[in-house]
Amino acid sequence: MVQNIIDVRNLSKSFDISSKEPGLKATIKHFFRRQTKSLKVIKDISFEIKEGEIVGFLGANGAGKTTILKMLCGLIYPSEGSILVSGYLPFRRKENFLKNITLIMGQKQQLIWDLPPIESFYLNASIYDLDKFEAKKRIKKLSEMLEIDEELFIPVRKLSLGQRMKSELLAALIHEPNILFLDEPTLGLDINAQRNLRKFLQKYNKETNATICLTSHYMKDITSLCKRVICVHEGAISYDGKLDLLLKKLSPVKEILIVCRSEEDANKLENSGFTVKNKIKNEITIKIENNSITSSLKTILNNFDIEDLFINEPPIDEVIGKVLIKKDYDI
Amino acid sequence: MIFNLINRKIFTLLKVQYSNMLEYRVEIALWAISGIIPFFMLNIWTNNNLNESINISDVMLSRYFLCAFFVRQFSVVWVVFSFEEDSLMGKVSPYLIQPLNPFFRYFAQHLAEQITRFPFALIIAFFFFIFNPESLWIPNLGILLLSIISTFLSFLIQFLIQSIVACLCFWTEKASSIERLLFIPTLFLSGLLAPVVSFPAYVKSWIYLTPFPYLIDFPANLLSGNETNISGGLSMQILWIFLLFPLFKKIWSEGTKKYTAMGS
Amino acid sequence: MNLRKYLKVYKKFLHTSLASELEYKTNILIDLITAILSLIGSIFLLSIFFQNNGYIGGWKFEQALIIQGIYTILNGITNTWFNPNLTEIVKHIREGTLDFVLLKPIDSQFFISLKKINPSGFLEIMLGFFLLLFCIRINQINLSLSFLSLSLITISCSICILYSLWFFISTTTIWFVKTWNAIEVLRSFLYIGRFPLNSFSFSLRIFFSIFIPIAFITTIPSEVFLGLSQLWKILLEVIVASVFLITSRKFWLFALKFYSSASS
Repeated sequence: MVQNIIDVRNLSKSFDISSKEPGLKATIKHFFRRQTKSLKVIKDISFEIKEGEIVGFLGANGAGKTTILKMLCGLIYPSEGSILVSGYLPFRRKENFLKNITLIMGQKQQLIWDLPPIESFYLNASIYDLDKFEAKKRIKKLSEMLEIDEELFIPVRKLSLGQRMKSELLAALIHEPNILFLDEPTLGLDINAQRNLRKFLQKYNKETNATICLTSHYMKDITSLCKRVICVHEGAISYDGKLDLLLKKLSPVKEILIVCRSEEDANKLENSGFTVKNKIKNEITIKIENNSITSSLKTILNNFDIEDLFINEPPIDEVIGKVLIKKDYDI
Repeated sequence: MIFNLINRKIFTLLKVQYSNMLEYRVEIALWAISGIIPFFMLNIWTNNNLNESINISDVMLSRYFLCAFFVRQFSVVWVVFSFEEDSLMGKVSPYLIQPLNPFFRYFAQHLAEQITRFPFALIIAFFFFIFNPESLWIPNLGILLLSIISTFLSFLIQFLIQSIVACLCFWTEKASSIERLLFIPTLFLSGLLAPVVSFPAYVKSWIYLTPFPYLIDFPANLLSGNETNISGGLSMQILWIFLLFPLFKKIWSEGTKKYTAMGS
Repeated sequence: MNLRKYLKVYKKFLHTSLASELEYKTNILIDLITAILSLIGSIFLLSIFFQNNGYIGGWKFEQALIIQGIYTILNGITNTWFNPNLTEIVKHIREGTLDFVLLKPIDSQFFISLKKINPSGFLEIMLGFFLLLFCIRINQINLSLSFLSLSLITISCSICILYSLWFFISTTTIWFVKTWNAIEVLRSFLYIGRFPLNSFSFSLRIFFSIFIPIAFITTIPSEVFLGLSQLWKILLEVIVASVFLITSRKFWLFALKFYSSASS
């Protein structure tokens, strides 16, 4: 039986925030007396993660994904409930616990800016109690997997963003942790770099059976990496289960903006049985289910005179919001 | 019309910066306290009767140092550090695109902080008078006004000098160390630690050719009612401003030409 | 606590930090000049005080120079270790990278305090040493074993007290990100360390012994140098240093707890 490597029960977290209204008068009042109010950002969540799983925490900005991740690392104290990671209480930050985990945050660097990445690697190696020989071996292995080589000897400030990201990954993985926490890792990366990161994580998980928890508000990160997804909405879990199950149940629709050659054509299209979102003169926006897009498009193109066509995916917030409304999702 | 436009920009800047400053109340109080060195120096002077040799009474010396404290509070400048920080974080690029010289922004920031600092300075002065009741005096209105003008001129001189040093950020990354170097003569020669009148003759012969004595010594003497050449001092201050301002403009335009975005 | 590991990691800190800093060679030169000028300025000030007096607070000019020497060494140590690491922690808090430090299997206070080093401070330390050697000559001080060991003990205690004060301010960045103000206050108060404690009036002497332990930092080691110190003072300094160290550690751990429960 595969052990639960992460076990979370009835976890809650509240913060005290100081509140202030805009404007000069309010600022002066605020100067003399600060008001705080308590904000519950994580509301009674529970989940279990088995070793080797790749789990994605999906949610809109401010939903609480980063807070959950930081509590799993031990960077934030929970207000209520219990967390066990690898059998440890994360916030005690015991040495053996820390040697087993790593945190990678998008757009945040731990490499030394003026020096080549290799110097930071050896520094990390000594902090994690690796001898030079062992460190060299791991650097070699990871640099092959990440496909970087001479860049390791160039000062970090002279590297491109993609090279920097790869170096950060190496620095974060040199001690071969078996739990990886990634917070918005693809933030600010271009398409290629994003793709490379996802490929690398898949390979790493396969080769080392490391458990990976990542947060993202990009659907693509989740769909390409995670078989299981936990949806976080306003501090609570709205869905925890298989990703493809979620996608099937949501049957997301695509919005298509069609520019017809004439207003008449648009009128005809409006009355031909499609769900119409809105119509202005000869431009009409219709909604089509994903699984029937090809056939619907074929019909439209064959029967109507179209000048131009734009396909939009509804924003992720709408998708997540839908999950919240249809609350009947269980594992 | 343009004057009105600039007025409005400055006023808004001031308002925003003032709000900013109020956010950092503890910080402002600390800044005011950090100006406290003159009082310690005064203590050494009076405790050891050092002032006898320079013919200044205890009372006048106390007033001098109190005024030195005030002048320092309202003329201290830190624009180099703000500018260097901003340039390292890449914030200067967006500022350069705006139709306003970024140094106006820093200027407003400084003025706003001085306004915020005023109550704290008054509190410190209040405590000073409690410990030194015999030094209590109220300067006459004319002297007070002239001192305020003189202090503001001192502020301008220091602001210009530091802004020129700050522009060096366009050529070197660590202009702040140059500022730290320049601070040494400012500290020792401006009269913050000892009135210039107490300096040995070989120093007094050339010190009035530098801007330093006009930064603290002259305005403090003016305010405290010590003997001083009012018109001479004011004109020297204005002269230095006339020398420094075009220099600043020149270096600024050279610097922006050489500018490459750093730190992104 | 694996001592060997910490020594190894410190060697790495030294290596990486020096490598980074030596990329900016002119900086080191400017810092050295600043240190020299600062010392010259202080001696100049001192000479003004001693112009017409042989003794201030019971100290002769040649004896007061010892205090300047010790202050310079301590200032050098501050600029070598304490200052650069304070800048680092401010950066960590601002950029949100303190989390990386906390997740490393190494003591966070060790990491934060010792990660960076500024080599120009070394030159200042040497400057202070040379001044001390000069003072030993002109004061005709006997170099006995007890003299050396007592000097070492008291200066080490001074370093511990200074470290605790700086680290205390570093810790407060967790609440107030911009600590330049608190640093300025500390610097202003520490500046008093350049002068003999007894040159101040009685009330300030108490203040500088109890609240801001300047007395312990420079005066007691200087007294040891002159062979004037009493055993109870040295013991007191050791006790004070231990108390400061322990308190700074406890405060750091408290601050981390706050950071963990309040940050998002």
